[in-house]
Amino acid sequence: MVTTLRRSLSSPLQWITLATTALLVSPVAYITFLAFHGNAAVWRRLWTTRLPELLWNTVALAMSVSALTFVVGFSLAWLVVRYEFPGRRIWEWALVLPLAMPTYVLAYVYAHLFGMGGPVDQWWHSVFGPDARTPAPQSFTGVSIIMALDTFPFVYLLARGALLTLNVSYEEVARVCGVPPWQTVWRVTLPLIRPAVVAGLALVVLYVISDFGAISLLRYQTLTYAVYQQMTGRYDQTAAGILSVLLVVMALLFLVMERWFRRRSRFYQTSGRYKTIQRRHCGPVGAWAITGLATLVCGIAFGLPAAMLLYWSVAAVDQGALDTRFIGFVWNSAFLSCMAASCAIVVGLPLAYLASRRPTRLNLACLQAAYAGYALPGPVAALAVLALFTAFVPFLYGSVVILIVAYVIHFLPAGLQSLEPAIQQVTPNLEEAGRTLGLRTRETLWLITLPLIRNGFVAGWVLMFLQTMKELPATLLLRPVGFDTLAIRVWLEASEEYYQLAAPSALLIVVLSLPALLLLVSRDWRTA
Amino acid sequence: MEPRIGTWSPPSAFGEPAAGQEVILQLRNVSCGYETGRAAVSDISFSVRHGEVLCLLGPSGCGKTTILRAIAGFEPVTHGSISLSGQVVSSPNVLIPAEERHVGMVFQEYALFPHLRVGHNIAFGLRRVPRAQRNAVVEDLLKLIGLTGLERRYPHELSGGQQQRVALARALAPQPVLLLLDEPFSNLDPDMATRMRQDLHDLLKRTKTTAILVTHDHDEAFAMADRIAVLNHGRLEQFDVPEVIYHTPSTPFVADFVGHADFLPGMARGERICTEIGEFPNLKRLADGANVVVMIRPDDIHVVPDKTGNAHVVGRQFKGSENLYTVQLPSGQVLHSSEGSLHIFPVGTAVSLRILATHTVLFPTAENRDGPT
Repeated sequence: MVTTLRRSLSSPLQWITLATTALLVSPVAYITFLAFHGNAAVWRRLWTTRLPELLWNTVALAMSVSALTFVVGFSLAWLVVRYEFPGRRIWEWALVLPLAMPTYVLAYVYAHLFGMGGPVDQWWHSVFGPDARTPAPQSFTGVSIIMALDTFPFVYLLARGALLTLNVSYEEVARVCGVPPWQTVWRVTLPLIRPAVVAGLALVVLYVISDFGAISLLRYQTLTYAVYQQMTGRYDQTAAGILSVLLVVMALLFLVMERWFRRRSRFYQTSGRYKTIQRRHCGPVGAWAITGLATLVCGIAFGLPAAMLLYWSVAAVDQGALDTRFIGFVWNSAFLSCMAASCAIVVGLPLAYLASRRPTRLNLACLQAAYAGYALPGPVAALAVLALFTAFVPFLYGSVVILIVAYVIHFLPAGLQSLEPAIQQVTPNLEEAGRTLGLRTRETLWLITLPLIRNGFVAGWVLMFLQTMKELPATLLLRPVGFDTLAIRVWLEASEEYYQLAAPSALLIVVLSLPALLLLVSRDWRTA
Repeated sequence: MEPRIGTWSPPSAFGEPAAGQEVILQLRNVSCGYETGRAAVSDISFSVRHGEVLCLLGPSGCGKTTILRAIAGFEPVTHGSISLSGQVVSSPNVLIPAEERHVGMVFQEYALFPHLRVGHNIAFGLRRVPRAQRNAVVEDLLKLIGLTGLERRYPHELSGGQQQRVALARALAPQPVLLLLDEPFSNLDPDMATRMRQDLHDLLKRTKTTAILVTHDHDEAFAMADRIAVLNHGRLEQFDVPEVIYHTPSTPFVADFVGHADFLPGMARGERICTEIGEFPNLKRLADGANVVVMIRPDDIHVVPDKTGNAHVVGRQFKGSENLYTVQLPSGQVLHSSEGSLHIFPVGTAVSLRILATHTVLFPTAENRDGPT
C-alpha cells in the first residue's frame, strides 16, 4: 500500500462533510438571497408599517425577561451555593425543572387560569368587585413573567456553576480590606462571575427572541411571530425573508456575545480554587424564608402547571381522550423525532470527527456552519427549507422529508454539543495504538473510536429526539396535511381554548422532557 | 597542581554492541517535514541490531518523538529511508501503514483502551490467533509483568505503574520485531519510575526484545540503553554507547545535556593545553596559541583544603550521597566538584584543586567554533 491510509479514508469523509455543510447552509443562504433581491418596495413597506413596532416589542421583551431572570436566577443560585438549609440538595435540582415545561404549555395553562371566566378571574371578581380587571397574561408584563419563569434556570445553572468554582479568597481579601459583606457581592463576587451570568442571559435572550409557542398563544407581536404570520396569513415569502434575516442577525449577535463571554469565563476560572466554600448554616427563620422562596418559584413555574395538567388530563381521559387518534399523534411524534435524531447523528458525526482529527480551516468552518442552526428560530428554519424546496424540488413539498431536513438544521447544534466533546476526549493515541496492534483504518473506527464515543452519541441522540418532540413552529408550517404531532395538538387545542383536551399531550411532552433535562444538567453538574 | 592525566577508552565489551547480530532497523538520512505540533528532524542515520535497546535522548522539541512516530508509520518522511528487517517501509514515496509493520508501541499516556478489560487490552493485537493460544499468551504476559489475576479489571481501576505494565504487555503480545517506547516513565512518580526502569530493563533483556526508548532524562538513558542517540534541534549530535557519551561527548551540547559540565578556557602550547588550573594534553594537535575550552565534570575535580590555595568555596549543595561544591578561581571562573557526603568545608574555605580526569575533552571556543579544530 503506497499512499497514506489516513488520507484515503479522509477523502470520502471530506466530501460527505462538504456536502452536508452545503445542505445545512443553502436554505439560509437562499432566504438571504430572497430578502436582498426582492422588491425594494417590500423593505420600505415593512419599515413604514410593522418593523419599528416589531423590533421594539422584541427588544423590550428580551430586556425585561433578562432583568427578571437575572434577579431570580442569580439570587437562587447564591442561596443554594452559600447557605445550608434542609432539603438544599433537592431544591438544587428542582429549580431546573421549569426547563422541562415548553413555553407554549406554560402559556396555555396561565392563559386559561387568568383568562376570562377562569378560576383566577372568578376569584378576582369576588374579591375586588365585578369591575376589577384581572392581570392579563397577554399583557407585556404577563408575557415577560411567563417567559422569565420558563428561562430563569439558564441563569441559575450558569451562575451556580460559576459560584461553585469561584475562589473564595477574593471575597475574603475584600472583607479584610474593610468592605462590608453586602458591598462585597456587588464589587467582587458579581464582577468575577459576570461572564457566566452574561452567558446565561444571552441564552435567555436567544430563547425569547426565537420563541414561537408562548408568543403565539398569548398573541404578543415579535419578529418570530411576524415571520409565521407573513408565511401563513399573507403568503409573502419575501417579507418573511426580510424579517427572518433581521431576526437571524439579532440572534447571531447574542450568540457571538455568549461565545465570547464563555471563552472569557474559561480564562477567569484558571485561577483555580484554593479554598472550598463554607456553606453558612441558617437558622429556622432563614431556612423557612429560603424554602418559601424556592417553593414559590418552583411552584408557579413548574408545580402548579404540572398539577393542572394532571388534573385536566384525568378529566380528559374520563371523556375518552386516549383514543386511537391520540395514539396516532404519539406515533407521529415518535416517528418524526426518531428520524430527525438519527439523520442528525449521521450528518453530524463526520463533521465532528473531521473537525477534531483534521482541524483544517475548511473542516472547522464546516463545523461552525453547522452550529449556525442555533441562530435560526423555528419559523425561520421552516421558511428557509420551504423556500428552497419549493424552488428546486417542489415535489417534496408536503412530505415528511422537508420536515426532517428542517429539524436537522435546527437541532444539529444541540447534538453536536454532545458529539464534539465525546470525540475530542478520545485521544488519537488510542487509534494509533490500535494501528500498531494490526488494525486497519476501518477496523479502528469500529473497534475503538465508535465504542468510545457511544455515550456522547446516545446523549446527543436523546437530546435531539426530545427537542424534536417539543418542536412547534417548523412542524406547524411544514407538516403534511393532517399529520399532527403531540406538540401540534397542544397548540391547536389550546388556541381553541379546549384546555382539557390539550392536557394529555402536554403532560406527555413534559414527562418525556425530563430525561433530556437530566442529561443536560448532569453534564453541566460535571463541568461545574 | 599537576593534573594526573591518562587516556580513556571505552570498555571493550561495549565496542560494537552485539556485533554480528542482524540489523533490525536502519535509518538512512531521514528527514521529516515540519507540521504543526511536531518538531522537524533532518538527516538522521542510525541502525539498531537484534536484542539491542536504543535510547533517543534530547530536550523537548528536539524531534525524538517525531523519529519514533516515523518509525511506527505515523509520520511520512520527506527525505531518506527507513528499513525494517531489510525492507524499506518509509521513504518519500513509500509509506507502509502502521498495522503492517509489526512494530509495538507504548505511548506516553499508555493509551489503554478504556472500554476494554486488562485481558482484552493485552489480547487486542492477537485477534487472528486461536482463542486457546490467545488466552495462554495473555496468561504468560500477565505473569511476566506480575499482574496475574487482574485481567478482569478496567484500566481506570489500575495504578499508574500497573497501567504502564499492561501497555507494555499489550505491545509485546503480538511479538513485534521492534518495540517503541515514548517517554514510558514520565507519568510515574520518581521512586516508581526507578523501580519500573529496572524491571523494564530486565524484561527487555530476558525476552531479547529490540527496543527504542525516547526520553529526556539522561539517567534513564544511561540505565536502560545499550546505545544512545543524542538529538538537538532535529539533528543527531552523537550516537554511541552510554560511557562514551558521558566521558567523551562530541559537542558542548551533549557534554552539558548528559550531566553537569564546566567549560574552562585554555590555550594550546605545543603538546599541552594551558588553563588556569593546570595543563592538559593537546590531543587534537591544535596550533600554538589556539583558544579552546576544556570540559570538566564535577567528579573529575577534588577540592583539598589548603591555606595557600587561591581558589575558594563559594557554595555547597548537600545531595545526600554527595556534596556538590561550587569553587571560584581567582579569575572569577566557577567550577564544580563532587565530594563525599562527609567531606564538609564551610563556604569561604581556601582550597586547591586536584584534577582526576582520565581523559580530556576539548571544544573550540565560541569565536572559532565554526572553523576547523
